[in-house]
Amino acid sequence: MNETVHRLRTAAPALVMVLVALLGLGFQLQLPRAFPSDADYRGVASALAAAPAQGDVVFLHPWWTERARLFFPPDLKVVGYLGHTADDLLEHPRIWVLANERLPRTPDADFRRNFLPDRIPAGPAQQFGPLTLTPYRNGRARRVVLSAADALDRLQVSVEGPAGAAAQPCQRSGSRVQCPFDASVEVAWHEVLYQPVRCLYVLPPSGGRTLSLTLPDGPAADALLLEAGISWEHAWFPDRAPVELRLESSAGVLHLGLPAGREGFVHGETPAVAAGPWTLRLTTADPHDRQLCLRLRALGGPP
Amino acid sequence: MSRAPAPLDRRIALGLGLVTFVVLWATERPVGFVRDESVYFAAAEQFSRWWALLFHRPALALSDAVITQAFDFNHEHPMLMKSLFGWSHTLFYLTLGWVRPAAGFRLPAFAIAALIPTLLHLWGSVLWGRRAGLFAALSFFVVPRQFFHGHLACFDMPVAAMWLLVVYLFWRAEENSRLAPWTGVAFGLALATKHNAFFLPLVLTPFGVLAAWRSASTDGRRLLVRMGQVALAFIAYLGLVLLVKGRSGLVQSWQLLSPQTFGVGALVASLGALSLRLRRRDPAAFVPIAPLVAMGLIGPVVFYMHWPYLWYHPVERLAWYFDFHATHVHYAWTYFGQVLRAPPFPRAYVFVVTAMTLPVSLLLPMGAGIFRTGLRNLGDLIPALGRRFGRGGPTEWLLGVNALFSILLISHPEVPHFGGVKHWLPSMPFLALLAGREFDRAAAGLWSALGLTARRGAAASLAFGAIVLLPAFTLTVHVHPYGTSAYGELAGGIPGAASLGLQRQFWSNNVTGVLPWIDANSRTGARVWLHEVNGLSFRDYQRNDMLRKDVIPTNGPEDADLAAVQYHQEFREQEVLVWQAFGTWVPATGLYLDETPQVVVYRRPPR
Repeated sequence: MNETVHRLRTAAPALVMVLVALLGLGFQLQLPRAFPSDADYRGVASALAAAPAQGDVVFLHPWWTERARLFFPPDLKVVGYLGHTADDLLEHPRIWVLANERLPRTPDADFRRNFLPDRIPAGPAQQFGPLTLTPYRNGRARRVVLSAADALDRLQVSVEGPAGAAAQPCQRSGSRVQCPFDASVEVAWHEVLYQPVRCLYVLPPSGGRTLSLTLPDGPAADALLLEAGISWEHAWFPDRAPVELRLESSAGVLHLGLPAGREGFVHGETPAVAAGPWTLRLTTADPHDRQLCLRLRALGGPP
Repeated sequence: MSRAPAPLDRRIALGLGLVTFVVLWATERPVGFVRDESVYFAAAEQFSRWWALLFHRPALALSDAVITQAFDFNHEHPMLMKSLFGWSHTLFYLTLGWVRPAAGFRLPAFAIAALIPTLLHLWGSVLWGRRAGLFAALSFFVVPRQFFHGHLACFDMPVAAMWLLVVYLFWRAEENSRLAPWTGVAFGLALATKHNAFFLPLVLTPFGVLAAWRSASTDGRRLLVRMGQVALAFIAYLGLVLLVKGRSGLVQSWQLLSPQTFGVGALVASLGALSLRLRRRDPAAFVPIAPLVAMGLIGPVVFYMHWPYLWYHPVERLAWYFDFHATHVHYAWTYFGQVLRAPPFPRAYVFVVTAMTLPVSLLLPMGAGIFRTGLRNLGDLIPALGRRFGRGGPTEWLLGVNALFSILLISHPEVPHFGGVKHWLPSMPFLALLAGREFDRAAAGLWSALGLTARRGAAASLAFGAIVLLPAFTLTVHVHPYGTSAYGELAGGIPGAASLGLQRQFWSNNVTGVLPWIDANSRTGARVWLHEVNGLSFRDYQRNDMLRKDVIPTNGPEDADLAAVQYHQEFREQEVLVWQAFGTWVPATGLYLDETPQVVVYRRPPR
C-alpha cells in the first residue's frame, strides 16, 4: 500500500501535466462543435423570413457573434455590441434572440440580469445547429411618434450669441445644416460607447455660443426622450468641456448635462407634451472633441 | 559542475536552431505585415542604400547631412536589426532573387529567433539534463503568439533572444572569464536591437557584485565599495538634476559639453580604473564582475558604432531616444470589456494576459517552475523554507529574476500596456527554461514510479513530452498566421476571449485573411480602404503578390469601393462610418476566427 502511494506521489506531477494536456486537447477538439455552419445561419434567415413583423430586430448573444450579419437581409436590424443587453430597443416590439450558448464563456449572467427583465418569450425556441432562435416580446417597447433624426428638414437651426446677441441662422448644404462658428448638424451613423446609432450628429459652436434646434410643429406625445452622447473616442477625455442641453416644450424645461469624461448616453424624459414647438439648446465652453450624437424622440404608449 | 554544455548537446542545440530557422521560413508566407514591420522594411531599404553609398562615395556618405538624411527615418529604434533586414533583402531578393521581398527582410529575424531554442537547450541541458533542455527549447515556439512574433522583421523577438544571450553569456563568464568580452559584445548588440536591453545592467549587476563580494579579500571589498560609491555619486547627481530641472530639463540640459556628459565619462573612467586595480589585487573577485566591466566598456561602444545617426550628435540624439521611450504614447487596449486608454493600468494585466494567451499545458509547468524557483530562492533567505523546499543559489536567482523582470516592468501601472505579450517577451525564454526543469522532474518521477529501464524511460519521456506539447502545437497550427488573435484554453480560446472582452487582435496583419477575396471580387482599379493597414504595408502586400497591383488604396470609406475593417473595440466608429458611407450594414465577407469577427469587409452597393 505504502509502495503504491509512494509511486503515485512520485508520478503525480507527470499525471497532472498529462491530465491538463488532455483537458487542453479535449477543449480544442470539442470547440468546433460550437461553431454554426453557413447552413445553420441560412436556416435562421429562412425562419425569420417566414414570420416577418414590423419592427423586428435580431439580438445576438453573445454580442460579438456578428458573422450572422452575412446571412440576413439588409432591412432586418441586427443588434450586437458590447453592452447591448442594457439596450431597451424601444422601437422594437419583438426581439429575436439568436443565441449560441455552446460557445465558451458565454455571458449568460449579463443576459439574465440586463436583457430578460420586461421581456418574455413570444414563441417556441428553434434550434439550428448550435444556434437557438427565440422570439421575445419587448416589454420596454414604446411607440415612436416622431424622431428628430427623421425630421431634420423641418428643424430650424441657429446659433445664439452670449448675452442676448441676435441669433444667426444656419444654412442647409446638401444633407447637412452648416452654421456659423463651425457648428453643424446632420443625420449620420456614429458610435456612442460601442453602440452604433443613427442620430443627429452635432458639432457645437465655438466661443461658448448656443446651438438652437427648433421643431415648430412637434406632435403631442406621452413623453419626449432626449439622449445625448459624445461619439467615439472623443468621449473619454477627462479634460474636455462639459455640454449643457436644455429642451423646452409644452411640458416645461428639461436640463441635461454631459460631463467631461462621460462615455455613453445621458438620458432625460419629459412628462406628456401637447402638440407644439420643441426647442433644444446646447452649449459648451469649448467644442473641441465634443461631437454629439443626439436622439430626440416623441414617445407614445406601448405598441 | 562545469557550465559548458556537452559536445552532443551543442550539436542538438545547433540542430534545434536550424530546424527553428527552417520552420519559421517555411511558414512565413501567410504572415501579414504588421504596421511597424512595413516601416522597418522601408527603413531597412533606405539604410541599405546608404551602405551602398558608403562603398561608392564614402566621403559623401559619412557627412553629417547625408547620415541625417539616411537615418532620420524611424530613428526611434537603433539600427542593428534594420541593417540586417536591409542587407538580407539586398542579397537574397535584389541580388540573388532567391526569395520574395518580405522573406528577404525577414530572414535575419528567423536566424535571431532561432537562437532562443538553441540557447535554451544549451543552458537547460547543463542545469538539469538533456530532457529539460529539449523540452524548454521545443516548448518556446509552440506558444502561438511566440511563434507569430518569431516571423516578424521587428525587434520584440530579437531582443528576447539577445536578452537571453547576454544573460547566458554572463552566467558562463562568471565561471570562465574568457567569455566576459563576448558578454560585452552581446550586450552591445542587445542595445543595438531594442531599448529593453538598457535594463540588463540593472538586472545583472547585483549578481556580479554579490558574487565578487563573496570571493573578495578585504582589499578587494574595499575596491568594490569604492566602485559602488562612484556609481552612487553619479546616480545621486542625476537624481538632483532631475529634482531641480524636471524630466524635460534633464533631457534638454544633456548636451555634449555638459556636466552630465562629463559625469558619464568620469563614471566609465573611474569604474574602469578601479576594475583594473581589482583585477591586479584580487583576481578571484574580478572574475564575477568581469562580464559587467565588459558590458560597461564594450556595450556602449558597439551601440554607438553601429548607429551612424549618433556619430555627429551622440548626446542630444541619445537623450531624445531615451526621452521618446520614457514618454511613449499609450495606445488603446481592451481588457475585460474596458478600453484602457491612459494610466494607471491594472497591475494584474500582464500576469492575466500571459495566463490567458499561453496554452494551458505549458502554463502549468511554467507556473510551477517560477513558483518552485520563488520558494527555493526564499529558502536562501528563510532557513525553514530552505530546509523544506531546498535552496536556490545564484543561478536560480538569476533565472527567477529574469523570468519576472520584464513581466514586472510592464506591470507598472504607468508603463504602456498595448502590444499583447510582445513587450514582455524577454521573460518568456526563462519561463520556458523553468518549465523544462518541471518537465524533467515530472518525467523522472514517472520513470521512477513505473520502474522503467533507461531505454523504456527515454521512450516514456518522449511520449510524455509529446502529450504535453501536443495541445500547444495544435493551437499554434490552428491559429497561424493570425497570432495576435491567439488565446489559450484558460480564456476559452478565441471565442472565450471575445466574450471576456479581451483585445481581439492588433497590428493589422490579419487583413491577409480577406486579401484573396478582395483580389477575386473587386473590379480593375478598385478603390479599397484597408482599415489600420498603413500605406507602406499596402504597398508591401502588392509587391509580395498578396494583393492585386491595380487596386488603389484610400484613406477612408468615403471614396472607397471596398472597405476591410479591423475589429477593435476602440475602432467601432470606423465600422459605423462604413455603414454611413456605403449605406449598408451587411458585410460582403470577413475573416471570422472561430466565429469571432476579425476583419469585416463591406462592398459599396451599386449606385
